[in-house]
Amino acid sequence: MKLDLGNPDWRQTLPPSRSVAADAPVVACAFSRDGKSAAFALGDGSVRLLPADVKEQAPAAGEAVHQGAVLSLIADPTSDGFLSSGDDGRLLRLSPDGSASELTHQKGKWIDKLAAHRDKGLAAASVGKMALVIDKAGEIREFGPHQSTVAAIDFSKDGSRIACAHYGGITVWSIGQVSLPPRRFAWAGSHVALKWSTDGKFIATGTQENDIHVWRIAQATDMRMQGYPAKVKSLSWSADARWLYTSSQPVFTAWPFAGKGPEGKPPLQFGDEGAGLISVIAAHPAAEFVAAGYDSGELQLGDIKTRRSVVLKMSDGSPVSCLAWSPDGFHLAVGNDNGDMLVVDLRR
Amino acid sequence: MAQPQVPVTVLTGYLGAGKTTLLNRILSEQHGKTYAVIVNEFGELGVDNDLVVNADEEVFEMNNGCICCTVRGDLIRIIEGLMKRKQKFDGILVETTGLADPGPVAQTFFTDEDVKARTRLDAIVTVVDAKHFLGQLEQGDEAQEQVAFADVILLNKTDLVSADELAKVEGRIKSINPYARIHKTEKSKIELDAILDKGAFDLKRILEFEPDFLEHGHDHDHEEEVKSLSFTSDRPVDPDKFQKWMGALLQLRGPDIFRSKGILAIDGAPKRYVYQGVHMMMDADWGQPWKDGEKRASKLVFIGRNLDGENLKRGFEDCLK
Repeated sequence: MKLDLGNPDWRQTLPPSRSVAADAPVVACAFSRDGKSAAFALGDGSVRLLPADVKEQAPAAGEAVHQGAVLSLIADPTSDGFLSSGDDGRLLRLSPDGSASELTHQKGKWIDKLAAHRDKGLAAASVGKMALVIDKAGEIREFGPHQSTVAAIDFSKDGSRIACAHYGGITVWSIGQVSLPPRRFAWAGSHVALKWSTDGKFIATGTQENDIHVWRIAQATDMRMQGYPAKVKSLSWSADARWLYTSSQPVFTAWPFAGKGPEGKPPLQFGDEGAGLISVIAAHPAAEFVAAGYDSGELQLGDIKTRRSVVLKMSDGSPVSCLAWSPDGFHLAVGNDNGDMLVVDLRR
Repeated sequence: MAQPQVPVTVLTGYLGAGKTTLLNRILSEQHGKTYAVIVNEFGELGVDNDLVVNADEEVFEMNNGCICCTVRGDLIRIIEGLMKRKQKFDGILVETTGLADPGPVAQTFFTDEDVKARTRLDAIVTVVDAKHFLGQLEQGDEAQEQVAFADVILLNKTDLVSADELAKVEGRIKSINPYARIHKTEKSKIELDAILDKGAFDLKRILEFEPDFLEHGHDHDHEEEVKSLSFTSDRPVDPDKFQKWMGALLQLRGPDIFRSKGILAIDGAPKRYVYQGVHMMMDADWGQPWKDGEKRASKLVFIGRNLDGENLKRGFEDCLK
């Protein structure tokens, strides 16, 4: 089965989908490792599970598992459940049926960001100036303190390192058994988003000052892309690492990283212009597709090979807050600030 | 989905002045409102409350080479996080440590678009310890700067000083910043509507907040290092010249100018032009229209360190028609 955005059906009917509303903002969404279930983290502390199969009956909304808002949610790399963290300082493992067990409770702190490495079964969490790495057995190791709160965190391709974004640049830690000193990559200002490239060679950050910064890890050289009208809070590398997609533009915007890299080249831009800017961008896990959610509410799917795009949902004014692809790349989960949760089945 | 902006009050004051007492009062009293409180020392507040958020006062310099363009990145993150909650807030209070400069907190609300979309800076409230203020002035710049930045001052612990001492402290406060509204308190006891939702940074409410703003100058010519200066004129202002002058002035002297605000009678314009600034950052807009037959007068106020009155006066006069 293949996604073909040239198929005229896309322009006539929307693909099968399921839409559920809550009365709290959707903060994050993810598909489970087996792709059978989508989870949506909400501002009321609950996590709503919806089956990927849009015809299957959805279970009722569960009780809140966090006391305040959920701040982050990812697929559990060790099971078909999820990991969630909140402003109550707790990191929870949620089983596929939604029941929660606590991995750590950092009293009085927020656990802002989570990341995972599926093959190694590792998860990482940011807690103030510290980064935590949680292994399969639930053992926690701490890395830090960094010079300021860790604003974003990601694993290297091979799962041997983590990168943390903070003021003044990023820090890369080896998380193997032998502890090596961390490597620091400096660039002034506050770095608010971070994504390690899917080939492991680059780390990209979005800064407070509407720029993107990218480091070549092996050579320790860096580059800066300017000209965004807003902070770039969402970054996504294509599966083949040839493109870095960025939010905060009205159309798909991809920097070319194949060959010599993007220096001196403009980004590739394509797609229909949204009413607002892209708030969340997510590259397909395997193929040349990319999904974008807008701060004006639209949802758009693009194909960078053919430069075709289709609008899956028109503007409803509520900013799209999260987007996730299923592991097989045939389903999309979407959430917005208004509390709407959407699961789309893209097979047609 | 347009949501009302949540007002944010910045609470400053020297160690032991009574900030914690005030916050405890706000968190424990029955007022039917929901306030989130961002503090530095979690332990200091006696209440265990999920509306209290711990911050680390993490300041970073903007990458534009300006040393006074400092911003609290942790506040941006925390406010974004608070806005994700289902619970809606009537206000947010940000406590700064006793030795902190309120500049970076205020500038955060001028800088970050996401923060500006969801919240608005309401006022800087400074708690002053009536008994120790004069001594604190000798110990460093902080006590003086906290008063200079203030829109509202709680002159607290008045029960611990004599009437003479109190008058002396009040005089010193006014010589640094005559524009702040002073409330005399014991044990930080004050009606919340005297300190919250004052609209001190609201360009539309500059006149409402300071009804005598245009009436008379309060300039005190004491030898204070930190002081306020105001300039008035009945002659219309040339907007291009003013913009050029103010831009250059803030570029050059921004670090020393803590607060600036003004109401201008622009040549030929039917409305008042109003502005507000903290260091180099500024917001400006058209305000109320001038009424028929109303006397059109402009007034500028600067509060800062080592202000050169002669130079500022000449600069302003060069902008007049």
